[in-house]
Amino acid sequence: MAQFSRTWWGQRFIAALEEFTDEARLGRGRSYASNGRIIEYTLSKGTVTAKVRGSINPYFGVYKEPIYKTSITIKAITSDDWAKVIRQIASRADLITKLLMNEMPDTIEEAFSGLSLHLLPHSERDFETSCSCPDWANPCKHIAGVYYLLASALDNDPFLMFELRGLSRDDLYTELTRSPLGKILASALDSDEEPLVEPVTSYYSRPIREQVTVEATHKEFWTGAKRLPSPIANVSQPSVPALLIKKQGDYPPFWHKDLSFISVMEELYERVRTKNKQMK
Amino acid sequence: MHIIHGTWIPEDSNEFIQRGAFYLWVETDTPAGRSRSNSNNVHPRHLAQTALTTFLMEKLGLRELISGALAHTLCTKYFLLPTVAGKPSPSFELLRYMDEEEPIEFDLVPWQVWCYQVPDIITALNDIHFIALNAAEDFQLGADLLFWHQYSQAIKNIISKDQYIPALKYQAISTTSNKGKKAKQILNFEIHPAWELLSETYENNIQRYVATMPGACTAGLNSPHDSSGLFDKESLLRHFSECLLHEIVTGTPFTQKIDQQIADTLLYACVYPYRPILMRPSSEKKLEEYKQWLTWRTNLTKSHTEAGFTLCFRLEEASPSDINNWQLHFLVAAKHDPSLKLSLEEYWGLHPRDRVETARPFGKDFEKNLLLALGYAARIYPTIWNGMATDHPTGCILTMYEAFEFLKESAWVLSDAGYAVIVPAWWTPDGRRRTKVRLKTSVRSSKGATTLSQGHLSLNSIISYEYQLSVGGQVVSEEEWEQLVNAKTPLVQFRGQWMELDRDKMQQLLQFWQTHQHEKSEMTLLDMLKIGSEAEDDLEWDHDQSLRDMLSRLHDKNAFAPIKDPEALQGTLRDYQKRGVAWLQYLEKLGLNPCLADDMGLGKTLEVIACLLKEREEEDGLGPTLIIAPTSVLGNWRKEIERFAPELRTLVHQGSTRLKDKQKFMDACQAHDVILTSFALARLDEKLLQGLKWHRVVVDEAQNIKNPHAAQTRAILKLDAPLRVALTGTPVENRLRDLWSIFNFLNPGYLGKEAQFRKEFETPIYKSNDLARSTTLKKLVEPFILRRVKTDKRIIDDLPDKIEQKMYCTLTPEQASLYEAVVKDVEEQLNEAEGIQRKGLILSTILKLKQICNHPMQFLQDGSAFTSERSHKLERLGEMIEEVIESGESALIFTQFTEIGGALEKYLEHTKHYNTYYLHGGTNVKRRERMIVDFQDPETEPSLFILSLRAGGVGLNLTKANHVFHFDRWWNPSVEDQATDRAFRIGQRKNVFVHKFLAMGTMEERIDAMIEDKKRLSSLVVGTDESWLTELDNNTFKELIALRRSAVME
Repeated sequence: MAQFSRTWWGQRFIAALEEFTDEARLGRGRSYASNGRIIEYTLSKGTVTAKVRGSINPYFGVYKEPIYKTSITIKAITSDDWAKVIRQIASRADLITKLLMNEMPDTIEEAFSGLSLHLLPHSERDFETSCSCPDWANPCKHIAGVYYLLASALDNDPFLMFELRGLSRDDLYTELTRSPLGKILASALDSDEEPLVEPVTSYYSRPIREQVTVEATHKEFWTGAKRLPSPIANVSQPSVPALLIKKQGDYPPFWHKDLSFISVMEELYERVRTKNKQMK
Repeated sequence: MHIIHGTWIPEDSNEFIQRGAFYLWVETDTPAGRSRSNSNNVHPRHLAQTALTTFLMEKLGLRELISGALAHTLCTKYFLLPTVAGKPSPSFELLRYMDEEEPIEFDLVPWQVWCYQVPDIITALNDIHFIALNAAEDFQLGADLLFWHQYSQAIKNIISKDQYIPALKYQAISTTSNKGKKAKQILNFEIHPAWELLSETYENNIQRYVATMPGACTAGLNSPHDSSGLFDKESLLRHFSECLLHEIVTGTPFTQKIDQQIADTLLYACVYPYRPILMRPSSEKKLEEYKQWLTWRTNLTKSHTEAGFTLCFRLEEASPSDINNWQLHFLVAAKHDPSLKLSLEEYWGLHPRDRVETARPFGKDFEKNLLLALGYAARIYPTIWNGMATDHPTGCILTMYEAFEFLKESAWVLSDAGYAVIVPAWWTPDGRRRTKVRLKTSVRSSKGATTLSQGHLSLNSIISYEYQLSVGGQVVSEEEWEQLVNAKTPLVQFRGQWMELDRDKMQQLLQFWQTHQHEKSEMTLLDMLKIGSEAEDDLEWDHDQSLRDMLSRLHDKNAFAPIKDPEALQGTLRDYQKRGVAWLQYLEKLGLNPCLADDMGLGKTLEVIACLLKEREEEDGLGPTLIIAPTSVLGNWRKEIERFAPELRTLVHQGSTRLKDKQKFMDACQAHDVILTSFALARLDEKLLQGLKWHRVVVDEAQNIKNPHAAQTRAILKLDAPLRVALTGTPVENRLRDLWSIFNFLNPGYLGKEAQFRKEFETPIYKSNDLARSTTLKKLVEPFILRRVKTDKRIIDDLPDKIEQKMYCTLTPEQASLYEAVVKDVEEQLNEAEGIQRKGLILSTILKLKQICNHPMQFLQDGSAFTSERSHKLERLGEMIEEVIESGESALIFTQFTEIGGALEKYLEHTKHYNTYYLHGGTNVKRRERMIVDFQDPETEPSLFILSLRAGGVGLNLTKANHVFHFDRWWNPSVEDQATDRAFRIGQRKNVFVHKFLAMGTMEERIDAMIEDKKRLSSLVVGTDESWLTELDNNTFKELIALRRSAVME
């Protein structure tokens, strides 16, 4: 079964929960998350609230499919502290750059540790959770399910983590604009928009026919207006395969497998280079 | 002649997916049988079904599994071709084989042709190109097919660099629903898996190739009723490229493992677009995936296009005291001007308000793009992050190991990924210090006993050598070497400089040295040159002074000190000729047989003559030199020897009266210095010529021995001569097979056996364009070839802007007998003629004799064949023109006779197949203008322009030509000069060579001599015509026209 997160920060996020939750509930939580039993969830002011479809369980006196209200709050960082943290982040090109590339910097905690803070939750004390289900345990499987979904949302949006820690997008923006490097990130966040669909009218570029007009001379018609460029030497193997796609990092958003997209592409490119009869 | 054409034809379809295919067809000047009817516009000059099948199998080596299967796969297509008067005009290539003029005006009309649909386009085109390059006497590729061959190779290069991505295509579909009462427009969409080329090189290629694409490539049609026209070039090229990419990727066999890895992903759909998908995802899912893909793709292209700069990395080496302090500096270079660089150190050091101004040349959003560029680079080379934990990143520090890894690998990767990388000089190929085995050499005489005292090298020199170990050109002791091998680090400081250690290689070299160090070995000079060129990577040489001198002389041919003019030479050599003679002598002394390949017109003949004189100054009793040349130049050889070195005793071995008795021939040879003979006789009199030991054999126009299997070549190879010289004016190093054959004559074995040569050089160079192989070959042959071109700086200084040379040609027996008959006839009449009648007789005689000297056909006016066998003038012109064209130059050819102009045009265009123009009195203005523009166009291939002296004498500017031929003479120098000046005008940047043809032993030669005399005395008033000749008295005139029989050659 698929992992809920393929980024280091998503996995760290999950690890925090798994530390203090029993294995059986985690397992059921995972299947809740992947089977669409979480009907909706919203994040507001650092608290995630969700509606989860429970199951019929006569033992608990539940005879009709219940809907439970579940909420998860991660301990907020004060806005004063946030201001200091953002100042820290904005003083480091590596952190800003990774965030620009929509990645959580692996050294992000360095911006927090000076203030004896941390970003990613790592113990029970970081959480406040509740669920309307009859299970005595907290976190229950519903909480775990919502949590797993959160983790996979984090993969594509590392800024969600800041929000979970009580820094709204607007505040993040305001704080960033206070420093030169931060401004760069802020402007990029501002312009981050979903790309517009690019409809095409043909699968391959459509060859266009022109009206018959004879402009070229007879010679040009047969040999072209200019001489051919001199032939290029054949390239052998590229020094490193799949360079083009490597620049965008691994696990592009459309890639849902746990296996590295880059390594699969490397193999695919190599087969094309070496096994296709036209490429030999 | 057959011309293979072919192009890409997209299907006629408006479907979303419009495919296409590549079709070959063959145009011919000899169609088999008449086509039955012209009603459906069948192309009258192409190979139809059966003929095409035969051609494909016999010429292109196609095979069929079941007999007759191939014919069934052929199909008919239509091409919009230039058509005049209801007939397709021949393609540009075929035109040269046909008796037709290039049309100026034409329509494009669809013609039906039989086609072969090419599978595996890249491979097939490359194979056909290779076959045509080597085999073809009777077929060649049309420019349209050449274009596709080259373009498909370019595409192949892009694909092998992995510059393409899986893609999704969003197709909007609007359907009209009829449910309910009102028809409703429903907007829907479909997402198609695909592949996409994403590469700057690709985009550049498209632009470059569109500009060179022949119209014929766009002319394919599937049906004749298609009223529409040619394809737009760019869209056709893109369609072709995309279809090809699709075919290649989806046609690649993948493994089950990969299939599993990509199951249920976008990649699976892209790889197997035709396999049904079991679970069709909902539209929303598909749209979401599409958007995710689009974001990814947008980011990929953005990183290419958005920034106005290229990120650069510069590695600065550590000091010996601080070996782990290597600095990798970050810089940017402006895209519009890569020489404009800015280091980030400098940038951040500026006051913030100055930064904006400084960053302006590097594009908008500089800082954001800078961070992103660094980030993308860091994805490939993560060490960069180490330098970014600051608000002002300027570079990062590398340890020695990191620096080594960077130099070894990451630098290449980064530069492949589009970043610029600057490494220390000692890492660059030129600056690198390598570990090698060193051969310490010295010269010994062949007798083996003592080293030659003066260090003189000679034919018999043997080179003895011993092995040493070396690093970067310095000898290293075994201990030092072992120390280096045992060093634990990949980079070491050795004698004050950093260098890389390749321990495995060093270990091998050490072992080699340990086993061989005590050997004293010997090799010949040829071996040394051969090994030196071939095994450059692992060997280096420590030559003793004499060898070092020798090598530097061999490699810097211009440094040869010019010889003094030989005393017996009647005339003076130009400076470069003196150097040429010095070079010839030097190589011969070393026992390296040379190939003198100076451009035509620079005087190779004279250099050889000077060489013969010079060696006679130095030594007595030399044996005879045999000179083998085409019949057409034998006369010129003799004339030049007579003129410049009358002292050389010359025997022309030619004609039916030649010596045939072995003993008599040998005796005669011993009594002469030079024996001149033709290629034909070299074969016919093979036994005779092999009967004695020659001092030297000179092969003039050495391209005549390019075929190693021809009887003529084999006969020449058997001649017994220690010294051999080859002369040629064609750039011999570009034609590999000729090159091998010439070297096989000069220095047998040096380039290996023929089959070996093909495998090692010819195939890799021609078929895969292997640069390393061609460099090696170039190094091998370079010392033996002296090729100076007219445009060389050093030559130009020695040459006047206009060089006039006379080309003496002998008469063929046919010409001679015609000539004698006319002379005899005239002599009788002359005594009785008076006044006007006499004048008329003289002028008509001169005209007749001129005609005979040109070609018997012109005199006989019987429509007989205009072949080179009947006139040495024509033969020689053909040979010289070949050299001109081979050297990529153009020429003007003047004649005063329209019938010769026409015949020459036919001969040069249809028999020799050069691009030829002909301007005469009857040419209309429009055609004349077009011809001149075409000829002068730098994009036009090297061409010939034939002009009648009268029509082309004035007002034309034909400066593309730097050779001017006067096929016959106008006995007025100023008229000839005026004609010559068509090429020698303002705008001419090259020296102009003027070749005036003269028939030897005839009145042409004598009138020329008279004019030269008079010119010197400047006393003769020569009119604009030839009437002054009528002033001569009878006896003088008779003498003038008499034929010197010895000047006739068979």
